[in-house]
Amino acid sequence: MSSWIELLTENFDALASGFWVTCRLVVGSFLLAAIVGTFVAALRVAPSKWLQRAGGVYVETFRNIPLLVLLFIAYFGLRRAGLPINTWTAGISALGLYTAAYVAEVLRSGVFAVSRGQIEAALSLGFDQRETLRRIVLPQAMRTVISPLGSITIAMIKNSVIVGGAVAINDLLKESRIIASRTFETEAAFFWAAVGYLLLTVAATLAIRRLEHRYAIRR
Amino acid sequence: MGYLFDPDNWEWLVTENNFQFLLEGFLVNVQIALIALVCSLILGLALALGRLSRNKPFAFVVGLWVDVWRNLPVLLVILYVYLAMPTSWRDFYEDVAPPFLSEAVQSGRVFAALLALVLYNSAVLAEIMRAGIQSLDRGQNEAAVALGLTYWQRMRLVILPQGLRRMLPATVSQLITLNKDTTLVYIIAIEEVSRRGRILTGFNFFGGVQAPLLQVFLVIGLMFIVTNLALSRLSRRLEIRERRRSGTTVRPIEGLEDQVATAEAR
Repeated sequence: MSSWIELLTENFDALASGFWVTCRLVVGSFLLAAIVGTFVAALRVAPSKWLQRAGGVYVETFRNIPLLVLLFIAYFGLRRAGLPINTWTAGISALGLYTAAYVAEVLRSGVFAVSRGQIEAALSLGFDQRETLRRIVLPQAMRTVISPLGSITIAMIKNSVIVGGAVAINDLLKESRIIASRTFETEAAFFWAAVGYLLLTVAATLAIRRLEHRYAIRR
Repeated sequence: MGYLFDPDNWEWLVTENNFQFLLEGFLVNVQIALIALVCSLILGLALALGRLSRNKPFAFVVGLWVDVWRNLPVLLVILYVYLAMPTSWRDFYEDVAPPFLSEAVQSGRVFAALLALVLYNSAVLAEIMRAGIQSLDRGQNEAAVALGLTYWQRMRLVILPQGLRRMLPATVSQLITLNKDTTLVYIIAIEEVSRRGRILTGFNFFGGVQAPLLQVFLVIGLMFIVTNLALSRLSRRLEIRERRRSGTTVRPIEGLEDQVATAEAR
């Protein structure tokens, strides 16, 4: 056990930099996923059939394709095609666009979970379509989607590992693999990487629980 | 766009047996997913029942086990299990692997991949099953107790048939996730579809590039989209048929791992 702690103290800088890289990757992808996801969800509840269909195609494509394949397309594929895309752009856009499909589904279901009566009441009170959406539907939808959005965030933290596995971004797992192959202490190196990821997922879980406690609607 | 649809860049698909080569690789993914699914369902049920056990310390330990595996990235688990597994286990697997599996699935590395996928997915499925069982009305269990059924009779005849029916949609989306996750075993050099894609697009003996990477991986992605869409259609079909037959409504369980909670449209 003492050798495990020694491994941590000796390689703390490398592990910490990997941890920081993972954090940046997660935050960047989350922002992208939130923006694109909201946009796609808006398409899916739009009044036009064609816009709805376009949103549906996006969701079904990105939800059913493995993230690894998406990464290969986004990085190696586009590079071979002559587009000088860098690792961070490829990593964040693959992870972000992949997660956006899930975000869109959750947001859409949140909008549909607001009962029809609410919308009818708002319209009969003289709110127009846009105002009804902004003042009546969205505030209620936001509250129902907190916990599913939370589990998507946690899944995204775990999926960020795949980015480091496929393209050259030195995230936490990559750093610990480097340490493992240098010191041959595989178990200890992976143990500390696992601790790092558990720290992130547990922190996210606690944050979501707090948000839920404050805003979520209990049924 | 010109690059993408240029016929020269699609020529690889019809030359020699490239497409068959990819398809055989995809079959490896499917086999791994199926074996891992069956094992995870069995282990997941055991874990779910363990977590719901009356014996509090036991339930706590099982809960801890489930939470740890569920919150670790699969790729890390695959790598770790592969590196930590004794060679004797791999040899054992190579000895007992049935010959009807693809050659790539009979290699000892696959045992590590399977073990990792089962560890992760059984934990996720255990949570889905627990939520399914707990969403049942208390009265069901109480009535079964009042009728004098033993624990196993209650589970087999009353609780599980209802609870498992409710978790069908969540289980199918986990199966889709599992199917996608099988591409990750490329990291321990199992020759499945994404590794075969890399082989196809790698440099050949003379230093020239063989097939364009973008197109190859688009085809691989399409294989996954087709199978996963078929799976979700199938589950929708099953759900509707079940609903019509039993006259009950199935409420999806929300808030689980990497899957979308679909609120019922009202």
